[in-house]
Order: sequence, then structure tokens, then C-alpha cells
Amino acid sequence: MKQIFAIGIGGTGAKCIEALVHLHACGLLADRDGNPARLGVFLVEPDQQSALLVRAQTAINRYGAMRRSVGRNSERFARAELRDYGQWSPLTTSTGAISLDQVFPKAVLRTQAPGVAALFDCLFPPEEQSADLEVGFRGRPPIGSAVMSRISLDKEAQVGQWQQMLGDIQTAAGSGEPPVIHLFGSVFGGTGASGVPTLGQLLKNWLKRQGLTSIQVQASLLLPYFDFEGVANDDTGVHAESRNFQLNTDAALQYLRTSGRACFDRVYLVGSDIKARYGFSIGGTSQSNAAHLVELLAALGVRHPGGSSGGYAHVLSRSEQQSVSWEDLPDDEEVGEGLARGARFAVAWRNNISREITDAQKVPMRSFVSGAPWAGHFFHPAGASASRGGRPGIRDKEQLTVQSAIDQYCDTFLQWLNQITSNLGSGFRQELMTASLLAPSDRFENNLSRVVLGKARPRRSEAADTVEAIKVRLDSLGMDEIPHRGMAGLADCLWAQVV
Amino acid sequence: MRNLQWILLAACVALGVLWIFLGQNWIFLNLFPGLLVGPGLRLDDYLQTGTSPAFVVFWAGCITALMIWIGVTWSSRPRSSAQTRQMQPMWWVAAILLAVFGWLCLGWFTVFQWQVSGTSPIEGAANNFYPLPAGGWMLLMGFVLLDVILLFWLPTLLASPRTYRLVVPGAVTLLGSR
Repeated sequence: MKQIFAIGIGGTGAKCIEALVHLHACGLLADRDGNPARLGVFLVEPDQQSALLVRAQTAINRYGAMRRSVGRNSERFARAELRDYGQWSPLTTSTGAISLDQVFPKAVLRTQAPGVAALFDCLFPPEEQSADLEVGFRGRPPIGSAVMSRISLDKEAQVGQWQQMLGDIQTAAGSGEPPVIHLFGSVFGGTGASGVPTLGQLLKNWLKRQGLTSIQVQASLLLPYFDFEGVANDDTGVHAESRNFQLNTDAALQYLRTSGRACFDRVYLVGSDIKARYGFSIGGTSQSNAAHLVELLAALGVRHPGGSSGGYAHVLSRSEQQSVSWEDLPDDEEVGEGLARGARFAVAWRNNISREITDAQKVPMRSFVSGAPWAGHFFHPAGASASRGGRPGIRDKEQLTVQSAIDQYCDTFLQWLNQITSNLGSGFRQELMTASLLAPSDRFENNLSRVVLGKARPRRSEAADTVEAIKVRLDSLGMDEIPHRGMAGLADCLWAQVV
Repeated sequence: MRNLQWILLAACVALGVLWIFLGQNWIFLNLFPGLLVGPGLRLDDYLQTGTSPAFVVFWAGCITALMIWIGVTWSSRPRSSAQTRQMQPMWWVAAILLAVFGWLCLGWFTVFQWQVSGTSPIEGAANNFYPLPAGGWMLLMGFVLLDVILLFWLPTLLASPRTYRLVVPGAVTLLGSR
């Protein structure tokens, strides 16, 4: 089994992890034989209140909850294994310090190493020294580098999340296909720009010391792809400014050119000349930047067969200046089918099938089945609460828990899809999906023909591309074509039939 | 609609034709002559000019209703079970209208057409209608209900397409466990 360890650093890194989890849910992370990979995710972020971190964690938690609730009652749906190593803040190593002058106590420095104290004053102006870092590194890579470089992986490997993840990496290295460590982060902000190369280098050195040289460390580095709308006020203090993004990027790329191989075996560089516009935020709960297509592209770097293709820095471009279509995505056939399946499933499930199940709670099962013959294959037609013939009751608490878990993940996934297809930047359009259809609706959505656009849309006439047609196909499935009954079995069959 | 459903629909229609044009008349003539024969009423004549045309017109009504049902359910794309179930009262309305239509057909060919034309169906008789005994009326009206079952319920049960497969009364019991 292929094993991937993904580390998201900073807000953008967390957003890439969110994208990666959704790709994983769509079955797009697999080994050469098509078996789902095992994905481990780890979020590194000093800003523990970050809305982006919360959102990534929500996606992780909801996918995990859905997978647990489905359990072994599925052959194709939610089969991909996800291990959550949690969140970690580089500030946790410095005994409660929340500013640079607490991380490097100046009073101590002045008495014990006056030269270093002078250098510290030279490198960091007073406002940076005293800035509260609980909202992140404020778009200043030098602050992040100073904090991150104090991390000792050997020490961290003894406790907590790092211990779990590094332990799993060691175990994975000894079994079959060598695992891949993939880091995500921006090079134009604060946390990612400082954390990705630093952690990359720390990991490479640690792997070397452990004799695990077969493990590849790679990174998706995000170049500028958004700007801030609005400006900070006088009380904001040190903060990220979009005018510094290019400068930060130049510095990061220069560093990569000279020292990149010490940090990563290969890198994937993704950005956008057409910038999305986000409202200004210093960090914390107010930093709720919508998901962006660039994060999806960054996450797709994990799929790239790096080892065999050679080269260090990988980039990609689109064929048309003002639009993006499936052809612009790497490995578009497979990625298109996977995302199309996921999007169509989420719409069909959340906006129709699940609502049907909810309505079934209000009428006798026999009456419900008279209008929904497909339901009789998965649930006991008499509505008995005790399982008979492998078919549980549609009102069983356990079944409703599964429904709720799938609903919740679908909500998260639809929100993400809606954002990546609508948050594009001025004058830019996408020909991937219809954003307006990627939202929960109580209209019993039936038409699926416009959910996915272009070449990824299933080859089926528009009139026949409906949830109703899928229900008819579900109804006509033979006994041997339905491996599992109940809610999970229904989701499993829907997953197979939806494209 | 699945191939099997087309076959069943065709079989039901063919069975209906045989039933209406052959089977039913044979039953009236051989099994229930006593119930149908009234004062001065010759059963042969009545079957030829009374019940047969009435049941043929009624059969045409049933076939029309069946085709409308298949057409509507074939072309509809219901979004939900509730929307599919909205056809259940429609089915009952159709079945009741068909039964009433069948009884009216019997009434027309037995009574009303002779009243309108002012002639008597029995040569030399004074009454302008077939003098069908009460037992005969009950029998024929019962056969109308039986025909609604054979010509409308059975084919709609077996051939209702797509998500309407179980919407016909009794379908969940008879076909739901498939």
C-alpha cells in the first residue's frame, strides 16, 4: 500500500491539505495498482485560531467520521484510509512564548551573548520582536524562520504528534513501496514561506540520520495567487501585505535555487497571474479565505510520479489566458473522472437521496417504497427495526448516524467545490463545474447534467442524466451487484452508479 | 421500461383482447345464461347488440387509459418518492372513472340508445330497452370491475416504468420483495 504523509504549513498549507483530503475522498490517491493509498495529514500552524486550520480540520474530521461510520459496509465508497496526526504549533516548543522577544529572551541574550542580541536587534525591528505570534508569523518569513529553526526533530520525535507521524514514517519505510512526505505551504506569506523549507530540511536530515534515504521529501509551493482587499488599521501592528508577496516569493525562489535540494527532492510550483481577492485579515477566526483552484493543483502534485519523471522543479500552465478547463489539469482523464464522481455523488446524495431518507422517516415504509422502489434493495421494506435478509430498517439509529456522517462530509465537500469554482479572480472563468449547483438545496435536485462540465461530464444525454435515472439503475441492480445493504450500501452503489 | 415490462404489457393487451372478444362472451353464454335471460330477451341477440359493443367500447377506454398511464409515467421524471406517489390518487381516479365508464357503456347499449332512438331492441316488444333481470345487471357490473382489474390494474401493475414500478395498488406486496 502506498503511504503518503502530507504536512500543511500555515494557512495556505492547511487549505492544500483540505484539497488533498477531498482528492483522497474521491479516490484520487492510489498506488500503481489502483488501490487507495493511506494518507496521513499533519497541520503545522502557530495560529491555532485560524479559520483555515479549522476548515481543514473539519474536512479531515468529517471524512474520518464518514469512513468510520461506513466501516466495512462499502466496497468502493469512502475506502481511502486517512490518519490524522492533528495540529502542531512551533510556538509550543518555547514554553508559552508568544512573541519573538520571548522566544529569544533579549535580557538573557544581552547578558550572555551581547553580539547575538545586537544581531537580533539588527534583523528584527522592535515591532516584529514584540508582535503577538499567536495569529501566525504575520506575513514575515524572517520571523517564522527564526522560530522554526529552533525546532529539533530528534527532540520532537520523542513526544506527541511528531512522534506518531515519524514513527509511522519509519514503519512505512520498512514495508513495500517507500512512503512519500509531501509538504504544502505558500512561499509568499509568513508561516509557509519560513516553515516549508525549514521543515523540509529538518525532515531530510532526520531521514538521513535514520538511514531512510529511500523516502522522498517533496513540496507543493504556492506562489502568489491572491491579493488582499482593504487594508489594515493602525492597531493591527505587523501584518501581511500583498505588496510584499512578490518580494517574499523572489527571496524564496532564490533560496530554492541555491539550497532547495537540501530541503526537498522535488518541488511543485503553482500560482496564478490572475489573483483572487480576499478581505484583509491578520489571522485567527476572521481569516476565512475561500478555497481556490490553485490549492487543488498544488494538492495534485502528490499524484505526480516524481521518482520516475526526474527533474526538480515542476510547473504547469493553462492553455487559455482567461479560463481553465479539465484539459489544464494534470492527468486530467483520471482526475476529471474522480472529481466528477465526487461532485455528482455529493449533489445526488445531499440534495436528493438523503432528503428522501429524511422524508421516509415521516411516512410508513411501505408507502415510501411505493414511490422509491430502489429503497427496498437497501432497507427492510416493512420498515422493521430488526435486520432481516441483511436489510436494516430505514429508521435504525445506526443507519441514521451513517446518513448524518455522509451528509456532513458532503456539505464540506460541496462548500469546497463551490469555492474553487467560484473564487476565481476578476475576468477569469472555469469550465469545470457549475458553481451554483454545488450547494446544499432542499429542492430535491434531479438534473445532474450541468454539475460537471466539459470532458469530465459522463457521456450521457442531458435528459437521461438525472438522479431519477440513477434510482432506476439502483432498482434494477441484481442481488450480486449490491455487496452491502443499509445506508452505507446505498452510498456505495450510488458512488458506483453516479458516473 | 425494461424489455420484460414491454413483453408483459403486450401479453396483457393480447390477453385482454382474447378475454373481451372471446372469453367473456363464452362465459356469459355458457356459464350464466340463466342470470342474463329476461322476459322476451334472446341471449344471442343481447350479447351481439348489447354486451359485446358495450364491452368493446369499454375495452377501448381501458386501453386508452392504460396508454395514457404508461405515457405519463414513462415521460415523467419525479424528483422524489413523494412526487412519484402523487400518481397513486391519479391511478384510483382512473380506475373509478373506468368502472363508471364501463357501467355507462352497459347502460347505453342496454337501455339508453333504444330510448333515444325510440325503438325496441326486441322485435314486437313494447319496451325500448333490453329487459335485463337484476341478477344480470349485477353480473355485468361485476364483470366491468373484473375487466378494470384485468385490463387496467394488471398491465399497470406489471408494466409501470421506472420509479413508478411500485406505485400501483398492491405492487409493493406483490413485487416489492424482488
